[in-house]
Amino acid sequence: MSKNDVETAYFRRTSRWKLLLVLLIVALVITVILSLNVGYAQIPFANILAIMSKQIPFLSGTVDPSLVLPMESAIILQIRLPRIIAGVVVGAALASSGVVYQGVFKNPMADSYVLGVSAGAAVGASFSILFGLGSVVFGLSLTQVAAFLGAVSAMFLVYNISRVGSRVPVTTLLLCGIAVNFFLFAVVGLMEVIAGDELHAIVFWLVGGFSNVLWRDIWAILPFVVVGIIAVYIYARDLNLMALGEETAQNLGVNIERSKLVLLVLASLITGAAVSVSGLIGFVGLMIPHLTRLVIGPDHRILLPASTITGAIFLVVCDDIARVVATPFASTLELPVGIITMLAGAPFFIMLFRRKKQSYAL
Amino acid sequence: MNYQGQPDNSDVEALQNLVDDTGYATSLAAIPNRIVSLAPSTTEILYALGLDSKVVAVTDYCNYPYNFTAWIEAGNMTSVGDFENPNMEVIASVSPDLILATGGVQAELVTTMRDLDYKVLVLDPPSVDGVLRDIELVGNATGTRDTTMSLVESLRSRINTVAQKVANAGSKPKVYYEVWYDQTSLWTAGSKAFQNELIEKAGGSNIFVDQDLDYFQSSAEAVIERNPNVILLPATGMGSGELFWGSIEAVKERPGWDTISAVQNNKVFQVDGDAIARGGPRVVDSIEELAELFHPELF
Repeated sequence: MSKNDVETAYFRRTSRWKLLLVLLIVALVITVILSLNVGYAQIPFANILAIMSKQIPFLSGTVDPSLVLPMESAIILQIRLPRIIAGVVVGAALASSGVVYQGVFKNPMADSYVLGVSAGAAVGASFSILFGLGSVVFGLSLTQVAAFLGAVSAMFLVYNISRVGSRVPVTTLLLCGIAVNFFLFAVVGLMEVIAGDELHAIVFWLVGGFSNVLWRDIWAILPFVVVGIIAVYIYARDLNLMALGEETAQNLGVNIERSKLVLLVLASLITGAAVSVSGLIGFVGLMIPHLTRLVIGPDHRILLPASTITGAIFLVVCDDIARVVATPFASTLELPVGIITMLAGAPFFIMLFRRKKQSYAL
Repeated sequence: MNYQGQPDNSDVEALQNLVDDTGYATSLAAIPNRIVSLAPSTTEILYALGLDSKVVAVTDYCNYPYNFTAWIEAGNMTSVGDFENPNMEVIASVSPDLILATGGVQAELVTTMRDLDYKVLVLDPPSVDGVLRDIELVGNATGTRDTTMSLVESLRSRINTVAQKVANAGSKPKVYYEVWYDQTSLWTAGSKAFQNELIEKAGGSNIFVDQDLDYFQSSAEAVIERNPNVILLPATGMGSGELFWGSIEAVKERPGWDTISAVQNNKVFQVDGDAIARGGPRVVDSIEELAELFHPELF
């Protein structure tokens, strides 16, 4: 193959990637707009458009807003929109950190939930709820900071226990993840017992959701998630080299151990930030990178951004389902979104494990 | 008669046929002298009947009519632990001759205690009438039928007084009762919840009365859309007494809640979260409290 052919192939591939990303972004925007339509209150789509267009400077005035009730405007702008945006941010965070965990551990089962990172965040948050550490530092509540510290500690605990030499085999990783998860949930259980009337706060936190999320919660975590994902993207090439094997990576001049460390801290930072707003939401980080990889292949330069956007779409859709799926039983009944992702995720995990038995190539 | 004296025949008969809220029939050989109460509601019933000297153990959640936590710390009362998981060994160690339990989480424990030949009554009233019946049941079980009858009569007449007053009210406010709120979820009470009936009896109407559930997760969106005239926020005296809803101001500032009638007209109220949630004599206090909030012009 001549240099020219390589360049042409590379150009074709990157333009295909760009097209894919544009399509995903369009799909995300459509999902967000359609999701504004999903909820208990029956608000005509024309009114939703009127409410939204009023927020966009050059569109305001194009629609007559006089037909819109203040209640409708409040529901769209202060209940549904922040909720949808929280879904986008949390979904993107969980999916992108899932890509990192799977890439660094070279392990298809790795995910913040399986690795105990989420449980670590839960321990941190429960601890802070129990001891009433409610104060705010840099716009983050101490509960959020504690969640992050718990996430990072749990991840390093599992990583160090399950490491055999420089490799982290699937079996040991899963077993250590399970052991650490049991231990951490026991710690949460212990705190629940002594929590008394703080019990509610801990229990609800363990079943994830973002129904009553505030704009200010979203602004507080957004920088961590955005900067975290961009920083991970810079390391996308290192993730590719890690997939080729550590020796190859070393030969190509990548300081593997340092890259791993940076990537794991970044992924835990992203996870901790997301979990601090939503509580525990399982399996997004496991499923989305796999689904994306099936479609576009293993190159992290496209896998990471594509998974990030797909994760955002997925969690917003799951939250839409959570809002309406129980309404046949009682018209105002909602489910926590964490239950929907778990219902979808557990069978997926089992399927993956069965395939893995017949040799799964990452 | 009084319960320290000799029981008369009707009291003895009553002791032999005690049918509780689960339909289980218990027979006592004599008037009990060592009673264990496994719920705040049953503790309140026992003390309302003047059985102070016979109560030998209560739960950590019991906080009315006395500060039992202080008694327990001073060694003047035994604690069986928390309400969800009372300690069987502690119960056995105080040798009770009557145990008052509740349904739901205690069902399994009740079976265990009955297997060990303890006399257990399960009080799990589904309604205000059920609470009055349970008070009568405890009266029958403790030989305090006279005291009980006058208590139940006075509770009935207070409920009727409220009913007559609110019957004249021009309107029936739409009421939202909050069970839980945080950034992940909102919980409220449907038609099967105890609070639904208290709201009705106080001359209001629960905005979630069409939901055939007890306590369930709903959405702020549904609350805003149903636009309640009154918002009720329970404040418990249990534990540290911290309020999950923060403050009335914080509730008014929740996103989008400024469009709700109750918020616009300053009808967001803190209520006694213990009285409104316990199947004891204070349900009537709660009905009176709510009626005054719903119809201040009538009181």
